[in-house]
Amino acid sequence: MREHVYDVFARKNRGDPLAHVGYVDALDDETARVYAWKTYDEENWFEMCVVRRSAIIPVNRDDGPFAGGRSEEP
Amino acid sequence: MSDTTLSVEAMDDATRSGLKRLILTLADSKRLMGLRYSDWLVGAPSIEAGIAVSSMAQDEWGHARLLYAMLKDLNVDPQEVEHTRPAEEYASVDVLDAPFADWAAVVAGMVLVDGAITVALDAFCRGIFDPACSRIPKMLSEEEFHRSLGVAWYKRLAGSGSEEAKDLLRRATEATLPVLLRWLSTPDEVGSKLAAMGLTDSGETQVTAFQDGIRALVATAGVDVDAVEVATDPWDERRGRGPGHPEEEAVERARGDRNRMLFVE
Repeated sequence: MREHVYDVFARKNRGDPLAHVGYVDALDDETARVYAWKTYDEENWFEMCVVRRSAIIPVNRDDGPFAGGRSEEP
Repeated sequence: MSDTTLSVEAMDDATRSGLKRLILTLADSKRLMGLRYSDWLVGAPSIEAGIAVSSMAQDEWGHARLLYAMLKDLNVDPQEVEHTRPAEEYASVDVLDAPFADWAAVVAGMVLVDGAITVALDAFCRGIFDPACSRIPKMLSEEEFHRSLGVAWYKRLAGSGSEEAKDLLRRATEATLPVLLRWLSTPDEVGSKLAAMGLTDSGETQVTAFQDGIRALVATAGVDVDAVEVATDPWDERRGRGPGHPEEEAVERARGDRNRMLFVE
């Protein structure tokens, strides 16, 4: 079963910037949601989101930390 | 949640005793569920899955602690209940008596066992016992993550194309459902009385809610929940479950026997 990289973003308070807090490898969006919530649970987050790395579109450079995600997809 | 509540002082002895059994059944099931999840911190298919079940184990133990604490309202000492009872006294649901044999059984356990306990908790939460109405909603919100993970993995194993995975899942499901359907139906006077008093839903209502929640999912593993025959082995009315009990080693871990002497208050 193929897993995908999902990046995890969260903010502690309403109005805080959404920050990248880490990543998880997951089978699909639903498992990514649970893995993120259960792995990065050290804070009482106001909001947490996950995004499949392959969905991130680089804007100004192709060698940034998130830029390689699109090549992981078949 | 009900608009009216029932105080312990207003209950007759039979109701109080039935309520104690219901709380113990739920608390012991949560404690054993947590123990069974904790076995899979190491050995899950991925690090993330191991972290998730470890976190779920913590959730279950937290829920168990809150449920045991409700016994105080019935003048029962939770400390004694948690740390002195032998395995034979445990009222946890029968299917948690033994560890999960493989990851497919863990996944079936997340959806079916944890799911059945959640149906029972939800019914208790909507009853007229105030401590349940106020303390259980947070547990139910945490359980949504357990179900999400269980459902996602169940679909994956059932639809992976691996006949071995699907067969393990089907066998775990078929072994579990007869016991869970009987457990939720609470086929005795205590179950009927608690429902009649409005402390929880009737067994029939709980079984229907459970079946409706899993029908489509277990069909993906080739199981027809409406065709499952309910367990027929003897019913232990005192504990609200079938015969037998968790193995002694599990209860020793649940009680914390090995290092109990190091506990300092």
